[in-house]
Amino acid sequence: MLRFESVRFCYEKNRPVLDDLSFSVENGESVGLIGANGAGKSTLIKLLLGLLSGEGRILVDELPVEKRNLPEIRRRVGVLLQSSDDQMFMPTVLEDVTFGPVNYGLSRDEAERRADEVLARLGIPELKHRHNHRLSGGEKRMAALATVLAMEPDVLLLDEPTNALDPYNRRLVIRTILSLPNTKLIASHDLDMILDTCTRVLLLSNGRLVADGPAEEILRDRALLEANRMELPLRFAR
Amino acid sequence: MHMADALLAPAVAAATFAATGVTAGVSIHKLRKDDDTAKLPTMAVTAALVFAGQMINYTIPGTGSSGHLCGGMLLSTLLGPQAGFLSMIVILTIQCLLFADGGLMALGANCWNMAFYGCFVGYYLIWRPIIRSGLFSKLGEKAAVRARIILASVLGCTVTLELGAFSVVLETTLSGITELPFGAFCALMLPIHLAIGLVEGLVTSAILIFVFEARPELLQEVSAREKGLRGRQSLKSTIIVLAVLAAVIGGGLSLLASSNPDGLEWALFGNKDAGYAENMALDEESYGVQSGAADAAQTIQDKTSVLPDYAFPDSESAAGTTVSGLVGAAVVAAAAVGVCALGGFFRKRKQRS
Amino acid sequence: MANAERASAELRQMDDLASSVSPIHSLHPLAKLIVTISYVLATVSFDRYELTALSGMILYPAALFALSGIPVRTCLHKLRFVLPLVLAVGLFNPLLDRTPLFRLGTVTVTGGVVSMLSLMCKGAFCLAASFLLAATTPIDALCAALRRVRVPSFLVTLLLLTYRYVSVMLDEVSVMTTAYRLRAPGQKGIHISAWGSFLGQLLLRSMDRAQSLYESMLLRGFTGEFRYAEGRRAGLRDWIFVLICLSAFALCRFVDLPALIGGLLVR
Repeated sequence: MLRFESVRFCYEKNRPVLDDLSFSVENGESVGLIGANGAGKSTLIKLLLGLLSGEGRILVDELPVEKRNLPEIRRRVGVLLQSSDDQMFMPTVLEDVTFGPVNYGLSRDEAERRADEVLARLGIPELKHRHNHRLSGGEKRMAALATVLAMEPDVLLLDEPTNALDPYNRRLVIRTILSLPNTKLIASHDLDMILDTCTRVLLLSNGRLVADGPAEEILRDRALLEANRMELPLRFAR
Repeated sequence: MHMADALLAPAVAAATFAATGVTAGVSIHKLRKDDDTAKLPTMAVTAALVFAGQMINYTIPGTGSSGHLCGGMLLSTLLGPQAGFLSMIVILTIQCLLFADGGLMALGANCWNMAFYGCFVGYYLIWRPIIRSGLFSKLGEKAAVRARIILASVLGCTVTLELGAFSVVLETTLSGITELPFGAFCALMLPIHLAIGLVEGLVTSAILIFVFEARPELLQEVSAREKGLRGRQSLKSTIIVLAVLAAVIGGGLSLLASSNPDGLEWALFGNKDAGYAENMALDEESYGVQSGAADAAQTIQDKTSVLPDYAFPDSESAAGTTVSGLVGAAVVAAAAVGVCALGGFFRKRKQRS
Repeated sequence: MANAERASAELRQMDDLASSVSPIHSLHPLAKLIVTISYVLATVSFDRYELTALSGMILYPAALFALSGIPVRTCLHKLRFVLPLVLAVGLFNPLLDRTPLFRLGTVTVTGGVVSMLSLMCKGAFCLAASFLLAATTPIDALCAALRRVRVPSFLVTLLLLTYRYVSVMLDEVSVMTTAYRLRAPGQKGIHISAWGSFLGQLLLRSMDRAQSLYESMLLRGFTGEFRYAEGRRAGLRDWIFVLICLSAFALCRFVDLPALIGGLLVR
């Protein structure tokens, strides 16, 4: 479970990027996080992972996000970054998928077994020995997802998971997201994908939470979306 | 300036490898001591960027030609000398392995020539004193820093590149590779690299000024100044450093001008500082390294009674065996081609079957 | 190295070569590293006039090209980096060293010519050997070998990490170069007005990338050390390869094989 309690964060003094932010996400929920560029989505994710620290309280399964809890929180919360290149820094997919588990104390054999299992679950066992810098965009995204899942996180944070993918790979990623039982927080501008994968939506605008409700409801509210520099998902726009 | 393996005697290669290795070891130790593991990704990404940046052509105004970046100075001003040196080693290793740019055995020498001077000499003797100094302070705070950056990068790049080119000459000569007299070789190498260094210096300063305008905290020393850590170095010490450099450059130029090879030798071998001494000591060894093996080969040749009839009156010791040698070499070459062709043949067969 | 796209293509080519399958590819990287370094040392240590004896050393690259199935032509164009300086150094030898060594018909061959030729051969042979090492060994395997011979893990990790991002950066540079060229037709390079901003822009972006890279390491429990797979240990086959190669090099180095063969034929 995730809980934000009046969270506030500023890069520069008195110009908050996030202000008075409170919400919680129950176990097993899939929540979409939407908002215009600069609304604070990425900052929210960084705060949750303890990469930034602000005012207020953030709890992951009742563990407050603070220095001494970081290793445990980062094990429980896996994040898929927008740029897979930033996430895949080891020479091969296998080395990358085992990087996290090995750092968290698994033996190499166990880590490799887990890598095999995750790659098979995602349907990409053939990528195991491939070099990261030779993967296509779609392969890279799936492999990056494997590196996250190999940590067996309870919560998944996905930052623009369908960004810059072709329709086939986008659909593949959506199907994969749907098949994962984890609690999910998905930040994206791809509102159709949010509609496919999330039951609930949080709408951020200028660092404040302006709407929190069922996806079907919020994503059909043309006035609300357009007031916050968004528009209706394509399937409702016709 | 990348040296091939063929230009170095094993002893010189070993000496430069040792020098580079020790410097790298000390650098790693320093980084570990400062607990700079967070620097690792920055080093890697910056090194990769500099590597890619070397592919960019910079048009030199007024000429049809273009220049390139080597990057030692740039890296050390962004990462600090130790991290810059290690990043440079990595760049040179990748160039050596994947682009065959510079030899495997010559890697030590290449790191020394291109990374050591650019990173350590360039940083400690040129970049830091000039940035910390009060030079150009009449121009106003920002403009003064800008002027210092230009001066430091141009001076740094030319001086360190000249030192590097000089080392190439020195290493090649010590290896006994070329018949070219030392002075003539210098005259060949140094002016070219002076021009290259000048262009590199200008490109580097342009990049650094851009970074300074956008994110001054990224530049070493500049950021220290901004934080108010006023440098201890005064104008006087800067002038001293500059004078030393002028002497180094002047010395190099006078070596060039000198037509007396004996004088050259003296100037060269009498120079005990700047770490050349260890290379000097290897001098004789590097010449003598072949002799043992050559003698053995000679004895074996003598024993095999090859071609007494073909010996030429004006030939020297080894020449008697030469014609048979040439025939043999031709056979070997044919065999080599044969082996290659055979490999291809089997491969094709295998693919077909 | 003129442009980023070509460099990128070359990297990909080396990658493809290194990931193909052959008896040479499957050898332990450490064995190949030892053999390559010994080969280079042996080749370089030939005397400058021992051109004919030196020619025997061509057999090693020839055999490796044949066994590994690496096309020889992929290596030839790599000569362009190494040869210029070798040429600059060697070209003066024929002019300066006019000691006649022997005659071929009416032509007197001088020491300078022989030493120049042997310098070129050495350059080309050593290059071929290093090329074969890189073309038959993926870089991560090579790095495992480097760790085995106690190269500091910091340096090896830096090497791998840099290698990982070289292709990313090459792509960025080539995209930017293309964008520049499209708006500045007829310019051969970057105009002085853009000298700073061109790489500077990329540099700033790279710093952000490095930051997010570091964060993504932290998120997966990075504590300052990289742990890699051990890789397989060197086996009997690898040591036999080393033994055969080293003795062959020694034989070539101490016995003038071409002269012996030639002697048999001419007599």
